[in-house]
Amino acid sequence: MERFVFDSKIKNVLFGFMGLGVLCLAITFFIDDELHTRFWTNFLHNSVFFTGIAFISLFILSAFITAWAGWYALIKRIWEAYSLFLIPGLVLMLIVVIGLWGGFHHLYHWADAEAVAEDSILLGKKGFLNKGWYTVGTLIIVGIWIFFATKLRQLSLREDENQGMNFAVHRQMRVWAAAFLPIAGFSSAAIIWQWVMSVDAHWYSTLFAWYTGASWFVSAMTLTIMTLILLKNLGYFAKVTPEHLRDLGKYTFAFSIFWTYLWFSQYMLIWYGNVGEETIYFRERLDNYPVLFFGNLVLNFVLPFFILIREDNIRKYGTMMFASAFVFIGHWIDFFLMIKPGALHTAHETLAHHGATAEAAEHAAEAGHHAASTFEIGFTVPGFLEFGTMLGFLALFLFVVFRNMAKAPLDAVNDPYYAESLQHHA
Amino acid sequence: MENSNKEVLFGLYDDEEILLKAVSQAKADHLNIMDVFSPFPVHGLDPILGLSHSRLPTAGFIYGAIGALTGFLFMTWVFTADWPIIFGGKPYFSAPAFIPITFELTVLFASVGMVFTFFIICGMGPGAVNPILDLRITDDKFCIAFDASHASDEEVSKYKSFFSATGASEVNTKTI
Amino acid sequence: MSAVVSPIREPLITGGKSYHQITEDICSPTERTPTTAWVIAFILAVAGLAFYVFCVGWTIWQGIGSWNLNRTIGWGWDITNFVWWVGIGHAGTLISAILLLFRQKWRTGVNRAAEAMTIFAVICAGQFPLIHMGRLWLGFFIFPYPNTRGPLWVNFNSPLLWDVFAISTYFTVSLLFWYTGLVPDFATVRDRAKGLRKRMYNVLAFGWTGSAKHWQRWETLSKILAGLATPLVLSVHTIVSFDFATSVIPGWHTTIFPPYFVAGAIFSGFAMVQTLMLITRKVLNLEDYITIEHIDSMNKVILLTGTIVGVAYLTELFIAWYSGYIYEQFAFYNRVLGPYWWSYVGMMSCNVLSPQIFWWRSIRRNILITFLMSIFVNIGMWFERFVIIASTLARDYIPSSWSYYTPTWVEIGLFIGTLGLFSTCYLIFTRIAPVVAIAEIKSILKTGGDQYVGPNAHAHHASEQTTTH
Repeated sequence: MERFVFDSKIKNVLFGFMGLGVLCLAITFFIDDELHTRFWTNFLHNSVFFTGIAFISLFILSAFITAWAGWYALIKRIWEAYSLFLIPGLVLMLIVVIGLWGGFHHLYHWADAEAVAEDSILLGKKGFLNKGWYTVGTLIIVGIWIFFATKLRQLSLREDENQGMNFAVHRQMRVWAAAFLPIAGFSSAAIIWQWVMSVDAHWYSTLFAWYTGASWFVSAMTLTIMTLILLKNLGYFAKVTPEHLRDLGKYTFAFSIFWTYLWFSQYMLIWYGNVGEETIYFRERLDNYPVLFFGNLVLNFVLPFFILIREDNIRKYGTMMFASAFVFIGHWIDFFLMIKPGALHTAHETLAHHGATAEAAEHAAEAGHHAASTFEIGFTVPGFLEFGTMLGFLALFLFVVFRNMAKAPLDAVNDPYYAESLQHHA
Repeated sequence: MENSNKEVLFGLYDDEEILLKAVSQAKADHLNIMDVFSPFPVHGLDPILGLSHSRLPTAGFIYGAIGALTGFLFMTWVFTADWPIIFGGKPYFSAPAFIPITFELTVLFASVGMVFTFFIICGMGPGAVNPILDLRITDDKFCIAFDASHASDEEVSKYKSFFSATGASEVNTKTI
Repeated sequence: MSAVVSPIREPLITGGKSYHQITEDICSPTERTPTTAWVIAFILAVAGLAFYVFCVGWTIWQGIGSWNLNRTIGWGWDITNFVWWVGIGHAGTLISAILLLFRQKWRTGVNRAAEAMTIFAVICAGQFPLIHMGRLWLGFFIFPYPNTRGPLWVNFNSPLLWDVFAISTYFTVSLLFWYTGLVPDFATVRDRAKGLRKRMYNVLAFGWTGSAKHWQRWETLSKILAGLATPLVLSVHTIVSFDFATSVIPGWHTTIFPPYFVAGAIFSGFAMVQTLMLITRKVLNLEDYITIEHIDSMNKVILLTGTIVGVAYLTELFIAWYSGYIYEQFAFYNRVLGPYWWSYVGMMSCNVLSPQIFWWRSIRRNILITFLMSIFVNIGMWFERFVIIASTLARDYIPSSWSYYTPTWVEIGLFIGTLGLFSTCYLIFTRIAPVVAIAEIKSILKTGGDQYVGPNAHAHHASEQTTTH
């Protein structure tokens, strides 16, 4: 049976990029403002992004098992390995939690006791937005996800040993996968509110959790396409054909449109309703982040729509690699836009509060008022340091994924749908 | 298919797997198949038969683009040039509010256009009468047809031996 | 066929059918004289339809005053029914379009009837905005054409006008999609018919011959239409949700409405498909084509979408508290504990709690429980719309305007009447068209027939499957 060999050559490349990531984080830390806002937002941005990809991979696996999908059996080991990144993902999020308790960062306005005390809106949310819930929520929810990820992985590996026609292991997987779906639905919403939506602590949108989930979904699909093509170039997954690529491309296409649909619904309703508390979110981004704001739509809708709509394009490895890379970056930018503006605003507010002199406070308050009205690399657009950090996190992600992939055969030959997947033809 | 007094020689098969083998055989023998008929779309037939991909999707894309432009430009013209009115404090040109109707018209134009194109290029329509070789083709028979209008006796016997070699359950001729 | 089917899959067609047997089974209901059960059902349906016509006439003659709409409550049963019927329609498109793209083969057993249901449900839905106008004869005002009345054009910025476009597009596209699929099957009926029936089906079958090129185009067309219908079905209920969500009324202005309405629509639509299918398969002897496996799959979709709307309900409640916006908080407090608390309880118990029994396989495969549940879900989804509309409108910003709404007999009659309209259409459909897509069923016979797959498959097929490892 074919196994993935995680050789030193790939390791060295990944170590190189991880080194780059650490270097970028370090540089960011030292050139940063006194609150290390840029460092911590970069950290949170990438941690949430990659942990989310791991979670969505588990969700995709569970959904496919529940829906009796057959075509993906050949490539399911990729998603299994992806889902195991939840363990380092929890560690990353716990670093954010430690920073919260230690007061090392000011990512969240609600974590600032003084600010909350004089802010009636934040006081009202105190029952949910507090350090305790953030910690417990992260630990319990990601803990549950890890439990399901390891459970499904274990069963999948046990299936490798379990030959014959009784499919007892697969039937067990069905139960666990189905049970995970509602849990994923409720828990992902709760955790997205805590991790991401509460960055803009005053703002709220009921659609936000599903919107973020859709963004994770497309990111996971595009990363899968890129990993698959990479591994194919290294000589693995020889049985994977353009037909499988077509299915991955089809999901990327469909969910890019779905993401756009959610984006539009959220934007349009807030625009139409014209309630100040809600429109501030988009006003801020339209005024100060116009390039990213519209670039987000170009990369995540226009580009995949026109490339992937053609049947012949989504069977081509080169085209798919290109399109996936752009869409992947597009959704990374989407998360950038979710986190940076709010965190920057919080930083300005905090600086205004803790300013040494009255004059400095006034100055900072002024700055806070016109938050990011001036161009600031690392906040209004991602700079080299942001991209370097992202590559570092990506290398870490792939390192964990490849290590887990090397631990098991790449072909799940006893999956009941393995033969179907081999023959898959659209 | 116009009524051209064509003489058609056709064989009926009982199963699509036999049909697929027969079509491959006909291609190998360089026989010129006029058409193949089946009660349902037989998968894997198009490449063997050498049918090129349908260009309906391209037509649909063009219709859709026309629909999108029609909708968006019309609303823009109405609200910015023809009769500008402020609704709900929105600007005259309020693009987000134009999106839903633009989308609906895109889908409407693409769908209606494609369905009409489909029926026209297939020569179909309400009450259209196209020659039917055998009534069981829409039930459980799979049919390979050869144009035998100008075929020599030699060719006809070649067709007939092809039918018997590939397992046709019946061989008939019909003038259409 | 050489397609490999996993041995873990259950057969989708039972009874070891041959192609001819399939034609025979599905065409024969249109060829027999109607059964007594059909005739009785038809009489009841037409009676309902007649009552509907009477209520519409009453409404037009007496005016909208014959309804209990008053003061802040501008929308009552009418719009509740409108949203309910549109939602029901969505399952047909979902089954034929989205499940086609997701390659769920079980859809072939139910898609024809579900699409028919879509069309009839949209017809019922479309009635309500028109009747609601009161002056029905001015209904053409909603169309954008050059005219001489005040503002020259209709308001393209209004979600209510978006509805006009959405519903009419949805109806047109669904009709074309359904009819394109029907053409080959009408040809099958035509080739079996004689005399007047043959002449009739000759017109309906559009001169279909079954040529390979036609099939290729037909399949391409079906796929593209499915691809177009998928975002279309999302857009339709999204736009319906915009009718509420673009306002600034607490409880209506919430961004989750679009996907949550869509999920709810699919949910109620599947329930209606279950109701119809359970009766249809029994009455027309189609148990071999609409098997317990199909019912099981549909119950899974009901469980899934029921849980999605559950997530949405809780999200709404939570965010209402989280928003810190007192009017929003009151709107939801009022929804759960206000004067309409009973409809909230009905909604929650029918939509979220009761479908959870479908976690058990034996219950998913129990026909009686499935039938009762499908009725339950439809009641629950009706309540959902009623909760959103009535409970919100009854509690305005100004407490002096607060009121309570109960429908008059005319409003109730209109709702019951549309059930008659719907049933009449559906019953006629079962007499004219094959209720299961014949050509599509035939094309999955080799991968879904119980003589080819599943535990009772022929020995040589079974050995083929195990050796493919």
